[in-house]
Amino acid sequence: MKTSDTATIDNQQLQELRPENQLGKTALLLAVVCAAAWIANIVNGAPLLQALPGMMVLYAMVMIGLGIGRVAPFYLPSVAWVSLVSILMTLPFFPGNGWIVEQLTHVNFLAVVTPVLAYAGLALTGREFTMFKQTGWKLVIISLLVFTGTFVGSAIVAHLML
Amino acid sequence: MDLKLLLNWRLHLTVILASLLAEWIGILRIPMGPGTLLLLPLFYAFIIGVLLNPHLFSGMNRIIPESVSNAAGPLILIAILPFIAKFGSTIGPAIEQIIAAGPALILQELGNLGTMLLALPFAVLVLRMGRETIGATYSIAREPNIAIISDKYGLRSPEGIGIMGVYVVGTMFGTLYFALMAGYLASLDIFDVRALAMACGVGSGSMVAACSGALAEAMPGMRDELLAFSGASNLLTYATGLYVSLFIALPAAEWLYKRLSPTALQEARNENL
Repeated sequence: MKTSDTATIDNQQLQELRPENQLGKTALLLAVVCAAAWIANIVNGAPLLQALPGMMVLYAMVMIGLGIGRVAPFYLPSVAWVSLVSILMTLPFFPGNGWIVEQLTHVNFLAVVTPVLAYAGLALTGREFTMFKQTGWKLVIISLLVFTGTFVGSAIVAHLML
Repeated sequence: MDLKLLLNWRLHLTVILASLLAEWIGILRIPMGPGTLLLLPLFYAFIIGVLLNPHLFSGMNRIIPESVSNAAGPLILIAILPFIAKFGSTIGPAIEQIIAAGPALILQELGNLGTMLLALPFAVLVLRMGRETIGATYSIAREPNIAIISDKYGLRSPEGIGIMGVYVVGTMFGTLYFALMAGYLASLDIFDVRALAMACGVGSGSMVAACSGALAEAMPGMRDELLAFSGASNLLTYATGLYVSLFIALPAAEWLYKRLSPTALQEARNENL
């Protein structure tokens, strides 16, 4: 293992990567990735026009969440803020929640993720491929055990509690 | 973030075409032993993405230049956000069920310490790995966990190499593995599916998506409830994960490592002499 190839992410880069720190750029890029999800949704979700309000609701929820993350007095990841906004807007007592939930049914749950994984596949860097070859099988085994451990661990606790 | 590279039309067109193809192939069910493996469109999208990645096959430079691929990382973080919003919208309407399951939901967060239970002893005792083990096994190795390791040990340390290795494997195969494992365990019918749904909330957007998506496909009748439980659990992990991994998981991994590792035991003995 070569140490020089491993520092792919440092704290400063992590800061810069946080979407709430560059709201303008994020708004534009978010529109582009939403369009990709909107089109991917045609196959197993709904036709473009029918899904349009739902996609716009998602876009708005994300931007509101990022905005809150920007001004919040304490740190939570932007994904947590976005999640909280969307939970709040779909709670039974939120004004218009019926309409929001209805529009969102036209957006297929899995279709929104499909483009994310396409981006992920295309964005793997040379470093990641090299590192994968170098660290190789040992870390693959360890990683799969890590994933299995957390999943089965949580499932056992939840199963006993339910 | 370099806007010119990030708005490259070839990149987005490729993603759209890959997604359309993947969605069109749809969900495949493969019987395996006593259970069933579920293949989801997001797998094919990822595989198509990797095959078109210019770093893997240099010929792909003609479709997407390497510079664009290098710059595209932040797009993943942004692209997952609409999905997180969609996910949250399954929680709101199910809020009563979620509150009813509250104690299970909160306590299963402790299950996230399970990352080290299998992996750490195996790494130390079977693979004879050194302190890389701590970075590799104390958490699920997503961005907040990397920040902790980087802060505490630096990313060029053995601990840093360990976590980056798991990070890379997670980025490449984590999503696929979680979906396969969740779908398969659901088909085996050992656990309450709602417990599996909560276990999906590991604090990574794409992993929880694949995991809960697979469960919802395996048990279509409980779809909404399962998504709501996964979403709520994942949100809890987002909120608490950083603190649990810093104050509980990392010290626990250090402790366990010192008890198991032959070299660490040797050092401790020398200190005592």
